[in-house]
Amino acid sequence: MNVATHTAGSWRRILGTLTLAVLLEQLPWSGPALALRPDFVLVGVLFWTLHQPARISFGAAFFLGLLADFQDGAVFGQHAIAYVAGVYLVLFLRLRLLQFDPLRQAAQLLPILLTVQLLVLLIGWLAVNPPTGLAMLLPVLSSTVLWYLIALFVRLWHGKGMQDRA
Amino acid sequence: MAMPGQLMFARRLGPTVRLLIWLLVGASCVAIDARYRALDGLRSGFSLVLQPARAIMRTPFDIAAELGGFFVRHRLLQKERDALLTERARLLVDVNTAQELVRENAELRTLLRLQSRPGQRVVHAALLYRGHDWFAQRITLDQGGGAGLRRGLPVVDASGLVGQVSRVYPGSSEVMLVSSPGQLTPVLIERTGQRGLAAGNGHSRMDLRYMPAQTDIRPGDRLLTSGIDRLYPAGIPVARVSRVSRSQSSPYLRVECLPLAGLDRTRAVLVLIADPQVTQP
Repeated sequence: MNVATHTAGSWRRILGTLTLAVLLEQLPWSGPALALRPDFVLVGVLFWTLHQPARISFGAAFFLGLLADFQDGAVFGQHAIAYVAGVYLVLFLRLRLLQFDPLRQAAQLLPILLTVQLLVLLIGWLAVNPPTGLAMLLPVLSSTVLWYLIALFVRLWHGKGMQDRA
Repeated sequence: MAMPGQLMFARRLGPTVRLLIWLLVGASCVAIDARYRALDGLRSGFSLVLQPARAIMRTPFDIAAELGGFFVRHRLLQKERDALLTERARLLVDVNTAQELVRENAELRTLLRLQSRPGQRVVHAALLYRGHDWFAQRITLDQGGGAGLRRGLPVVDASGLVGQVSRVYPGSSEVMLVSSPGQLTPVLIERTGQRGLAAGNGHSRMDLRYMPAQTDIRPGDRLLTSGIDRLYPAGIPVARVSRVSRSQSSPYLRVECLPLAGLDRTRAVLVLIADPQVTQP
């Protein structure tokens, strides 16, 4: 395969999925669906950090974190810092994560997603005011499920996984 | 696992250093935004980009709601129309009385040489987006600075006070709900006229703060805005007292109230804009 077309193709795929993630968050979520809404953008960023670390890492995570801050009306930097920390954890555990099947990979992602959310909570607590309850940890579970589904889909689509092909 | 075109010994910063750099940038962002509020331009930029996306993503849901409304049964519509006609007749009587009272009030105020009450303009707005409410309960409206909105304006719906405009962008604005933690609303008890301060507690409820233990207040009392803050017009319904309890440790009553406005179901709201030239004391 030609390197140039491969590069363009994967850029298109990365930008496409991240745009889709942002758009999914713009849907008019409300009620329990909003409380349970997985963090699509975070899952997208961590997914591409795992599979394309040369393209998507700290910079993209920081920018999309600022976007998430705007969305929740939170103080700027709250999600950005947390996303960047999540990217670091994924980079740190990258070779390990890539060896697992989708279910185990999602199970390994749970602590990372939890760390990210706890960081959001901590920074919000320090910068604004105490959070109202622990409902903010619910998206961690739904994000983990989302990760499992995506990993499963990728595995089925590509046979063994994207890493072998790249 | 070397990819084509990738250096084998790349000279770039390690992940830990990059993490530290980005954390530093993030921390300064938090400080600048929380302390100096200097990043509002960035917020406006995001709102310009995301507002059309939100409007578009909302459209299918609005159309579905419209279609659902289209197939309402005829009988139901007739019933609703009859109810509305009765209501209208009743309101017309009230309006006549109110006009009479306004005229009389104006005369009395001139006699007493009191300041006349500020005039008011109303902007219709619709709910555009609702974010996670982990630290503060906010909604985004589809009207912004272009429609004359500014920070601090009260937002109401048909049944009561919804909140206060907290951030204004060119085509949209953010509203802090009355039930948001730390959001204070000066109120008075409708039955007794006693003034107090209602604060949101973050669980779609409000607390009436600093009510001395001997206060005459009971469940079912309505709270209205008192208007002494010169921000909210007087007399907007805010909440209904749901529980009054006395604690051993505190000299004040614990008064829990439920907001009257449909904070989590309302779709159309009104923003009240007071005429600035009259409000100057």
